[in-house]
Amino acid sequence: MLKIAIKACVLATGMGAVSATAADIAPMAMIVAQGGLGDGSWNDTANAGFMAGMEKTGIEGRPIESKDVAAQGEEIMRRAASGGFGLVISLEWIHGEAMEKVAKDYADTNWVIMNQTREGDNIASVLFSEHEGSFLAGALAAYVTADTSISGINEEAIIGVIGGTKSPGIDKFIVGYIQGAKAVNPDIDVKVAYAESFGDPAKGQQMAQAMFDEGADIVFQVAGGTGIGIIEAARAAGRYAIGVDTDQDGMAPGNVLTSMVKRVDVAVERIVEAYAADEFPGGETLLFGLEQEGVALSEMMHTKDIIPASYIAKVEELKAEVIAGNIDVWDVFEQGYPDFFK
Amino acid sequence: MPEAAAALRERGIERLEKGIGLVFPFIAALLVASLVLLVIGKNPLLVFSLIAQEAFGSPNRIAATLSAATPLLFTGVATAICFRAGVFNVGVEGAFVVGGLGAAFVGFALPSSLGLLLVPTGFALAAAVSALWLAVPGYLLARYEIEEVVSTLMLNFVALGITGYLVNGPLLSEKSGNNVTPLIHESAELARLIPPSTLHAGFLIGLFVLAAYGFWIRRTPAGVESAIVGQNRRFARAVGISIPGTIILVMVISGVVSGLGGASHALGQLHRFAEGFSPGYGFTGMAVALLGRNTAVGILFGSILFGALASAGTTVQLFSDIPLDIVNIIEGTVMIFAVVELGRIALFRRKAVK
Repeated sequence: MLKIAIKACVLATGMGAVSATAADIAPMAMIVAQGGLGDGSWNDTANAGFMAGMEKTGIEGRPIESKDVAAQGEEIMRRAASGGFGLVISLEWIHGEAMEKVAKDYADTNWVIMNQTREGDNIASVLFSEHEGSFLAGALAAYVTADTSISGINEEAIIGVIGGTKSPGIDKFIVGYIQGAKAVNPDIDVKVAYAESFGDPAKGQQMAQAMFDEGADIVFQVAGGTGIGIIEAARAAGRYAIGVDTDQDGMAPGNVLTSMVKRVDVAVERIVEAYAADEFPGGETLLFGLEQEGVALSEMMHTKDIIPASYIAKVEELKAEVIAGNIDVWDVFEQGYPDFFK
Repeated sequence: MPEAAAALRERGIERLEKGIGLVFPFIAALLVASLVLLVIGKNPLLVFSLIAQEAFGSPNRIAATLSAATPLLFTGVATAICFRAGVFNVGVEGAFVVGGLGAAFVGFALPSSLGLLLVPTGFALAAAVSALWLAVPGYLLARYEIEEVVSTLMLNFVALGITGYLVNGPLLSEKSGNNVTPLIHESAELARLIPPSTLHAGFLIGLFVLAAYGFWIRRTPAGVESAIVGQNRRFARAVGISIPGTIILVMVISGVVSGLGGASHALGQLHRFAEGFSPGYGFTGMAVALLGRNTAVGILFGSILFGALASAGTTVQLFSDIPLDIVNIIEGTVMIFAVVELGRIALFRRKAVK
């Protein structure tokens, strides 16, 4: 039975999808990145978008997991293309170079890679404008740190940010955050530190505690697993952390001011829809920023009663300004380092 | 005459034992997986045939399987060489990883003008780093009788910590947010054997290492002596074999082989070092060595078996809704039964003695 199913699906793509019903469109595969499904983060978020896309379009799709994602990427991609899949999405960063190679050999297959730009008429590259989301996080932090009526906020206008490592990919967040804070209060002091690790919660906790001791009351974490310690430090000290990538507000309810979320689910779902409509953006670099809802602040489930509504409204105004193009948020990855942050 | 017949019979049982030692765990694993599949309402025969097809169904798929088996050839030998000397080295994983980083470093940090010299330099540095890496617990065991299981196991975490730090810090690629080194120069890449498959020259190096291992254990004094140390230390001491010398020797060779494996993976497969460089090749290598009863042929089959499960287990998800967990169950069960010393074989033996 299974064998017949494979043959049938290979046959369908071999003949070309003539009519536009979903059943005739070649199936989709999404290669899950290291960490696998159930990571409660990047992979699960993307899979949610993939599932939603399948439901909306009726196209069949499969998430592909491997214990050895890094080494097997190229073989998986080749097998998917030769097996008749029409859309192959990889969530794994390290598959970029291999995808460029495979995409050349399989011109009729559509390919999607994340967080980098790859050459090829049949490859869509997805970038997230993390600097725009971080800008809003910085702005919100600047409003909150100036309001001593909020519990845990001191008089000094000091906030902080801790990056996992000093690199353009991380400084993209940090510079956006600083720019957002300065847009609200040009005199604000933003403390910057790097943990030199993405997997050391104990170090994150110490560094965040040190920042709190120096007068900061809100610390943005851009440090992956190290950030768990930063959030824990905020809970222990009764101060605030800002989460990153996924909605981390629930990790210390009330002590995570907000999270700068990367909506990879939105990106995946949009691409699946475009594929279904035969409008796959091959050869394009897709920016998922505030406008595309690719980055956003979390819903602030636990803090929206703590933060005065007027601040949230002002942040919304800033968001509209960014989308309208009245505010240009600096992108370290594309533009290099600005004068205010070397 | 009866003595000759008994000897013949004894040899026959030995062969049988080796054969069953290889095949029995696999059959047991298939039975367990069949049960699980039946419970979740799938036909085991269909699933297994699909997996077999994805593993060996076409030249491309065979190449993919051998490509996945390549690191295991090295880690299998590196483990077996210690196990048969009675040294329970579980640190091959860490040695593989530090060696891989060493080779990748040579591949991207040295000038590309070195050309073809990059490959042997990468392999040499990896072998040296990994040999040193395992020489330390080897020395501690030989000199101070510090439990090698504990020291080598702990060293794996040290290896992950050090390489994780380097790859997120000083050696981080400018082009990435985290976790990867730059790509190695093209001249440092190992050739692919049958493009477009990812099967690369590292596989041939692995086969060579395996053959050298087979020769070493049977035809060299040191190889034979290390087996004697493994079987009976008191006897070995009595006939004048240096136990500390043997321990350090097998640990260093194990390190060299692990390092070559890491270099092969870095220069042939990933073309860089990255976090997640090894998904546990060192530990799978232990299963391979146990399953193969430390013989060269056994290690070859064991590597191919686990390589097949890894490659087919992934691509089979494209064509059915078999979760990766089924493949994990098969792998895990093979590992468990690989270590079981078979009671029934002992029974055979007793009968033979009577």
